[in-house]
Amino acid sequence: MEREKILEVRDLTVNFHTYAGIVQAVRGVSFDLYKGETLAIVGESGSGKSVTVKSLMGLLGGTARVEKGTAMYQGQNLLALDEKGWEKIRSREIAMIFQDPLSSLNPIMKIGRQIEEIFTILHKTSRAEAKKRSLELMRAVGIPEPEKRYNQYPFHFSGGMRQRIVIAIALASNPKIMICDEPTTALDVTIQAQVLSLLGEMQRNHDLSTIFITHDLGVVAHVADRVAVMYAGKIVEYGTAEDIFYDPRHPYTWSLMASMPDMDLESGEALVALQGTPPNMLVPPEGDAFAERNPWALKLDFDRQPPMFKISDTHYAATWLLHPSAPKMQRPAALERRIQKSIARKEARANG
Amino acid sequence: MLKYIIQRIIAAFCTFVVVVVVVFFVLHFMPGEILDLSPKIDRSVRELIMAKYHLNEPLIVQFGYTMRDYLRLDFGYSLKVRPGVPVMNVVLERLPVTIQLNYFSAIVILPFGMIFGILMAVKKDTIFDHISSTIVILLISVPSFVLAALMQYILGFKLEWFPLILEAEPHLTWTKFYSMIMPILALSFGGIASIARTLRAEMAEVLTMDFMMLAKAKGLTYRQTLLRHALRNSCVPLASTFLYLFLGVLSSSLVIEQIFGVPGLSKTMMAAINGHDHWLTMGIVIFYCFIGLFMAILADLSYGVVDPRIRMGGKKDE
Repeated sequence: MEREKILEVRDLTVNFHTYAGIVQAVRGVSFDLYKGETLAIVGESGSGKSVTVKSLMGLLGGTARVEKGTAMYQGQNLLALDEKGWEKIRSREIAMIFQDPLSSLNPIMKIGRQIEEIFTILHKTSRAEAKKRSLELMRAVGIPEPEKRYNQYPFHFSGGMRQRIVIAIALASNPKIMICDEPTTALDVTIQAQVLSLLGEMQRNHDLSTIFITHDLGVVAHVADRVAVMYAGKIVEYGTAEDIFYDPRHPYTWSLMASMPDMDLESGEALVALQGTPPNMLVPPEGDAFAERNPWALKLDFDRQPPMFKISDTHYAATWLLHPSAPKMQRPAALERRIQKSIARKEARANG
Repeated sequence: MLKYIIQRIIAAFCTFVVVVVVVFFVLHFMPGEILDLSPKIDRSVRELIMAKYHLNEPLIVQFGYTMRDYLRLDFGYSLKVRPGVPVMNVVLERLPVTIQLNYFSAIVILPFGMIFGILMAVKKDTIFDHISSTIVILLISVPSFVLAALMQYILGFKLEWFPLILEAEPHLTWTKFYSMIMPILALSFGGIASIARTLRAEMAEVLTMDFMMLAKAKGLTYRQTLLRHALRNSCVPLASTFLYLFLGVLSSSLVIEQIFGVPGLSKTMMAAINGHDHWLTMGIVIFYCFIGLFMAILADLSYGVVDPRIRMGGKKDE
């Protein structure tokens, strides 16, 4: 079934022009977002995830510049918009939920006002109407006693409650696309689960297409339809959640998944940790950016960047290991065991 | 909150008492007679007058009498500058002239300081910001009386744009206002500069905060994010800065009034000090001290008005 593409990003390139030189934060990222799906972008800190999505809302500040690329949304290229054009897109078409709910609300403005201003300013409704709709939203995102909460300030709210308010703000203009930039990273694990299920519920109710950024593979498994793994400003592997979790092909994805603790870990068994740090993007390596840290690196990896190899219609990965003449590499044993177990679990579930 | 206000008032009262004590003794230790009566006056008459003002008793007893009068809100009489007129009346009579000058300059300071501050923060690290910052530092470091003298020389004497001294008309007419422009400007430059500097620093910081990103993501225009979200957050320290600044204006006005020949409190005070008219001096100092402490309390309370986190400090959830 051919699904409707709502957002089509091609060759997005963002550089930071700093005093030290040009930092290549995003290097030719391409992906599609289909209507109603959740696309998770995974990667470690500094891999360019946040920069990628911020450039889709025109929120890059200061020294960052979009060098090339297109992001087609409803027939217009978002990346060519000026500030006036962005004001029509933000909130109305694309909304964003930020990482830290503690700092993303205005500390000295009443909570109600912060939701309400979207209605009064953007949609020019009356104050009474705006208040009514704000209270509805607060109720929808699970704020108890919204009438009382309406007149309180952010410091009266816990982290989870504030994130609910941020979600309410994001939903206020009925956007088509919701970008969640690590929405649960700053929250307790128990609150995380609540916020994730709220996000899922809101996505279904409002027919949202979501881009979900995280470095937590557990969260990805929970929410994503499709996954893009990012490393050093590039998407290195791209596929459905099943492709990525049951048949990862890129050594970086292997390392990420192998370093995730799970219930099957034998006691005393050491977790596989990925050594080293991402390369300095002031002077990006000539070959594959991951080669330095890659235990399976080929000689070619150090000299030339691998292209995207197609594995199936939905699954792509950028590693020379997929070249027909590359030596066959085995996934690490622990990871292979884990994949087999989760496939077995899935089948057990499917069979009842 | 009430407890906090009471604490502040008690502290202010203590300061007040210390100021009164120090000023009383400093004035009375000054060399020179309080009553420089003519030698021709009969010795017994002289004794009588001295006795009336308790001047032959020890200083500490005199202090006691003075304090007793002050507790009854009796500030005594002017002896030389305006012989026989109650100190209270002299202050109230001269005050409007001084206050008029000061509030005009406050009215000038706030909007201009804020506009420059916002512009500098928004255009941070551009040529505009660099040039304005230099001017701001210059205006903060050069005392107002130097500016006043310079303006008087250049704008008043050389260019003849403004009159050199204040019109003596009793009411606020156009010509009087015109002659007030230079003293008002001289009083305002420093204030504008410090407001602009504070606001620039605060706002530049607020602009980088996460909630500004959310405000933008909400779809507000840049101007709306500035006015609705950034400005009030940047004004938290501004409220107190401004009130203290007003005190600065009040004290620079002592000198500025001399330069422009303004018949305000400052002239009276100078005359009172030079003429050993101690009760009048005390009265004026007490008045300034009172305004100063009042402003300080107001400044402390103003934080709470702007920032609810301070207003509701202590009670986490109602």
